[in-house]
Amino acid sequence: MSTDQDLVARWAVEPAPLLPLLHAFHNRDGYLSEAALRAVSEGLRIPLADLYGTVTFYHHFAREEGGHSRPRVCDGPICKLRGSDELMAELDGATPMPCAGRCDDPIPVLVENRYLAGRPGAKLRETPAPMPDDNPGELEECCFAGIREDGRATLMGYCSDGGYGALTRAVREGSPAGVIEVVEASGLAGRGGAGFPTGRKWRAVAEAPGGPKTIVCNADEGEPGCFKDRVLMDYDPHAVIEGMALAAFATGATRGFIYLRYEYPHTERILEDAILDARDAGLLGQRILGSDFSFELYVRRGAGAYICGEETSLLNSLEGKHPFPRNKPPYPVTHGFEDLPTVVNNVETLASVPPILAKGADWYRGLGLGDHAGTKIISLSGDVQRPGNYEVPIGLPLDTLLNDWAGGPLEGRTFQAVTMAGLSGGFLGKFDDVTLDEPCLRARGSFLGAGGIMVFDDRRDMVDLARQAMAFFAHESCGKCFPCRIGTQRLTERLAGEAGPADADEWKREVADIGTTMAAVSACGLGIAAPLITQSLLRDFPDAVDANLEARKS
Amino acid sequence: MSTITIDGQSVPFEDGETIYEVSRRLERDVPTLCYDDRLEAFGACRLCVVELEGARNPVASCTTMAADGMVVRTATEAIERHRKTLMDLVVSENPKGARIDPLRGLASQELAHLAVRYESDGSRFVGKQSGTSRPDDTNPMILRDYDNCISCYRCVRVCAEREGDYAISVANRGFETQITTEFAGLLEDSDCTFCGQCVQTCPTGALGDLRSMEAQDQPGEFEKTRSICPYCGVGCSVDILTKNEKIVGVQPAMDGPANLGALCVKGQFGWDWVDSDERLTQPLVRKDGKLVPASWEEAWERAAKGFKSVVEKHGRHAVYAVASGRAPHESAYSVQKFVRYGFGTNYVDNCSRA
Amino acid sequence: MSNPLVDMEKPDVIFCIGTNMTETHPVAATRLKTAIRNGATLICADPRKIPLARMADLHLPLRVGSDVALLGAMAHVIVRDGLTDEAFIAERTEGYDALVKHLETMTPEWAEGICGVPAADIERAAHLYAGAERGAIYYTLGITEHICGVDNVQSLSNLVLLTGNIGREGTGINPMRGQNNIQGAGDAGALPNNYPGFQPVTNPANQAKFAQAWGREVDLELGITKVRALEQCGESIFAMLICGENTVVSDPDRAHCEHALDALEHLVVIDMFLTETAERADVVFPAAGWGEVDGVFTNTERRVQRVRKAVEPPGSAKPDWEIIAGIARAMGLGDGFPYQSAKDVFNELCQLSTTYAGLDWDRIDKGEYHWPVPDREHPGTPILHLGEFPRGRGLFVTPGYRDPAETVSDDYPIWLTTGRRLAHYHTRTMTGRAKGPDWLVPEELLEVHPDDVQRLSLVDGGVALMKSPRGEVLIKVKATDQSPRGTVFCSFSFGDVRVNDLTGAGYDPITDTAELKVCPVSVEPAGARV
Repeated sequence: MSTDQDLVARWAVEPAPLLPLLHAFHNRDGYLSEAALRAVSEGLRIPLADLYGTVTFYHHFAREEGGHSRPRVCDGPICKLRGSDELMAELDGATPMPCAGRCDDPIPVLVENRYLAGRPGAKLRETPAPMPDDNPGELEECCFAGIREDGRATLMGYCSDGGYGALTRAVREGSPAGVIEVVEASGLAGRGGAGFPTGRKWRAVAEAPGGPKTIVCNADEGEPGCFKDRVLMDYDPHAVIEGMALAAFATGATRGFIYLRYEYPHTERILEDAILDARDAGLLGQRILGSDFSFELYVRRGAGAYICGEETSLLNSLEGKHPFPRNKPPYPVTHGFEDLPTVVNNVETLASVPPILAKGADWYRGLGLGDHAGTKIISLSGDVQRPGNYEVPIGLPLDTLLNDWAGGPLEGRTFQAVTMAGLSGGFLGKFDDVTLDEPCLRARGSFLGAGGIMVFDDRRDMVDLARQAMAFFAHESCGKCFPCRIGTQRLTERLAGEAGPADADEWKREVADIGTTMAAVSACGLGIAAPLITQSLLRDFPDAVDANLEARKS
Repeated sequence: MSTITIDGQSVPFEDGETIYEVSRRLERDVPTLCYDDRLEAFGACRLCVVELEGARNPVASCTTMAADGMVVRTATEAIERHRKTLMDLVVSENPKGARIDPLRGLASQELAHLAVRYESDGSRFVGKQSGTSRPDDTNPMILRDYDNCISCYRCVRVCAEREGDYAISVANRGFETQITTEFAGLLEDSDCTFCGQCVQTCPTGALGDLRSMEAQDQPGEFEKTRSICPYCGVGCSVDILTKNEKIVGVQPAMDGPANLGALCVKGQFGWDWVDSDERLTQPLVRKDGKLVPASWEEAWERAAKGFKSVVEKHGRHAVYAVASGRAPHESAYSVQKFVRYGFGTNYVDNCSRA
Repeated sequence: MSNPLVDMEKPDVIFCIGTNMTETHPVAATRLKTAIRNGATLICADPRKIPLARMADLHLPLRVGSDVALLGAMAHVIVRDGLTDEAFIAERTEGYDALVKHLETMTPEWAEGICGVPAADIERAAHLYAGAERGAIYYTLGITEHICGVDNVQSLSNLVLLTGNIGREGTGINPMRGQNNIQGAGDAGALPNNYPGFQPVTNPANQAKFAQAWGREVDLELGITKVRALEQCGESIFAMLICGENTVVSDPDRAHCEHALDALEHLVVIDMFLTETAERADVVFPAAGWGEVDGVFTNTERRVQRVRKAVEPPGSAKPDWEIIAGIARAMGLGDGFPYQSAKDVFNELCQLSTTYAGLDWDRIDKGEYHWPVPDREHPGTPILHLGEFPRGRGLFVTPGYRDPAETVSDDYPIWLTTGRRLAHYHTRTMTGRAKGPDWLVPEELLEVHPDDVQRLSLVDGGVALMKSPRGEVLIKVKATDQSPRGTVFCSFSFGDVRVNDLTGAGYDPITDTAELKVCPVSVEPAGARV
């Protein structure tokens, strides 16, 4: 077994060492002991109080002996419907964890570093995540175009279909400016939720003074109801790596990190293997393909914090700091990792880049419907016939996705509500005329975001679903800004009936006032988006609210 | 020259100035709870939000740099409504915050004042309260009354950014957030040096100066007298707090030129010796081998007689004087003048060689 | 200090030697921590692993009393490797050639043999300091309380002059003054060689100036230092006025000190408490203390600041100046002490001082001035030696290494070094009576390396007997790697652990400062002595 000194020595010399060093102790000891934290504090020269505080921020770091081996059972919105409470009761010492990204094949359970699936009354099994079905609309895809091919996750499989061709061409014949031009012209925008034009971001980093520059792949897919990044990384890891290498080439970055959520341990192994293979093939590392271009790529595993999907929290987390979001501006394009110019892109965004460069900007633009450019992967789950990941043309009618592609509601049921952007876009109760694009959804007080859509049929209690959603945001609120820290708590209490006015009008006024202020003045997207839950509940489900409040009186 | 328009008034600003700083220069009363001049702007409380033309949402003025051509409104109806909601939320989990004795610390009334300004009385948004006090921390200097904590982290930030001690940090997240030392222990077992800077920046009195608080039940208000700390050579400016003619505490002077608001444990908490019952209150003279109380005239006569007789017996170079490095100039000046003027010698020194 | 406190945030390389600043000058240390947070490099030379050493990029754990060797070797490397500031040396210094010759034999390897710091670390320190854009040196009594205190300071001065790290923002050679107004006591003329404002008593012009102002003529001869005066008690000194100093506890060799005071025919003490020193007096006057008097302090950066009266003193206690004026009056010297207030005293000082000439009571209200302020138009002098040094050119001197007055031997095989603790001040006359600090550090502990605890058969938390040729004390042991092997540490703050019974083997020949930082001792379990 490695000694404390071995572990510290192994990681102290690496970039972004804190998380992997903590994981090394966590894996070795089964928890993070005081002695381990003291060794890390001294080894990395992080004040002990800071380190302790930061460790407590993450959901998954156990601080009691044996904590790492206690099963963690997903209690996300869909798993809750599928019996996560019962499953938890069946498993010795099990504790809940927020949505672990397997809503298409629930219920995920983490035992140490094994990602299992189970359901009440059945044995836990290690099964691969479902592969996306062939495109039901028989439409041309970008990200999923090659993913279903056998061996796609291997270097050979990826290359046999033209993989790394875009990188090879760029390095041998192209120029950074040329790459940026194509990405800009394609209209590709951030697929993690914020929708910032990718080419513009790359250009800003390319032009920013200072270095070394960094490419960060945001693989902290924490949004409940989202499981698309996992499938991309599991089945097409080289597309993500090639996308990152292209981003590095375009911006002059020399190092990169994939910040992977804790809940995908098997994915970490897939990515590490893929990176090793790519390095061996001269596609990563020093002097890529014999050129002057060098790019080192590292995987860093999170430890359970939704807020680390927010890019500046993610950067603080990588740097070993307390993962509060930073104040913006300045933005990561100029002040990112270690305060240097940094691209932070979502997995799907990066995986879209190689096909765009291979087939051209016009091709990609043309994949969208109407004026919309490109495609978006939707993670569809809940009370629907065929849940799963679907790559849709942007602008696709939601109705087409739900009924034509996914088979409609379950036998004898009707749709009551869908969520948008996982939970962040709140609920929609009337959605017949919705198309899957930001202009349409923003006009309806919601947004497409990372593309998670959860479907709830007529059996579901909307106030209770809202309570669960708000409890998730309260659990994940970082605690920095007042409106979010207190607001998510107060809204949860009100939805649960634990506190708040008995009078219905007064109740609604309080809920609305908190939401309005949270949405307007919160410091980051979590606090801004969370009240969409209550605002949409009041807007689209007033009868359910009234009935719930009435029922409390008796 | 770059200018920014604030509430209709166009003003020039310096590079690196925030909207908040410019607003304050214009005496706009923008409220805040997480701001301390000496700390990096943090942007947590969001009370300082202002309307910025062209921005979708209000922006935190403390973290937003002024830029040429910005048009800012600091107190629109919508902004004030958000502030009212924020204050109601804060007070909802700190209802005691409005009744904190000002002896707890320099900034301890900030929450109370804003609660009055926004008429936040804790009646809205009732619910659970965050923060767990630490009555088990029985140190005699720093009260850790976290029931009143609003998680502004000024204490954590001043400990790190100004004091460089990193003794405290933030544990957990969201509503479960708690100010902590490593492993949630006592201050005495942490890297805390008891400088009291956390106490003095706390805007709610969740951290309190236990030495001063001993006087909080005495009737009356306290007064402040600007002075200099009596300990080391740094010369930190302090305000001496007095109540009913007694010294009841010390607070750092934020505009003190040598310390800019900083103090250490001695300057902050080492003042209560002044009231020691071991203080000498009257002159003593030796009679029959014992020191006994005497009148001033008698003591002066006795002291003078002794010096005169030594000079008569042994000459003027037989007298020596040592001045204090602790007393003010007037003391040392008088000592050396006593020797030079009185005996015509240079037989005088101070205690710097010890 | 050559530079103001605010400059402490500005160096890119900081060299701290013989200063446990985080404990002795904590607020100044916060400035250094800010510099470090902003990326400055810290070199800390100290025998002990003090907090600054833990923060440092490079810790040089030299043997106590070996500073001249370490600093000489650093200078050797700077010259050898061509890291000098040649323009500065040419324009502003003299004696360079003699120094180069002097340094020839002071190699890092030679120094390693004396101070125990690896030669490579000495080289690294030299390169870091000489490579600084703004290099600043900070020191306190760890440099001066040696028989070679002056040599130590001159060795530091050589480093400064070799590299030109002076006369600019964020540079300089900065001794931190230990007491709130120790600077002011010197400024006010409580020195055997200088009138107020550091005007030498040996200069007839100064004699004439004061004779005219006071109507009394003062000797042209130097006075003697306190250390000499104590030695002369009962021989040539027979009366003493001691103002606010607990000489018996704070000075080295306590037995000698008690004996000296007892040999006096007349001892007058002015103090707030009946200290161990006051107990031996013929007359004791109750002094009004801090918060009870108006007055002036000058801090370590020469900033002149007002202290103010907040409350009445206890009983009939009075300000020192009033007490002294009373004695003078009773001696028939009242004409020289016509003061109605502290303001009158201070203003007289300003009129007679050259460094305070531009100041008066009202002008220092906000504490903006750093002396010298030679006239009313002068803005004050935050940074000394901007254009030239007081003597014109900076002089390189050539101190050689000397052993401490006593070195370890079979009988006394352990180095004792003394110092301060954060919570306490000097002899605890104040902090020992303050509830917070007294709770924080309620007793004195001898810091001993865990290996030595074992080797000497001591027990962590047990009591040890520590002896030097001059005395012995019982003291509780604390095992800590803050002390290096072979060296122990304690403070002199506690009256029940009379560590200054042990110290005092020697004095610096020039300043008469006692060697409080080095004292060979033996340490053994107290056994039946407890």
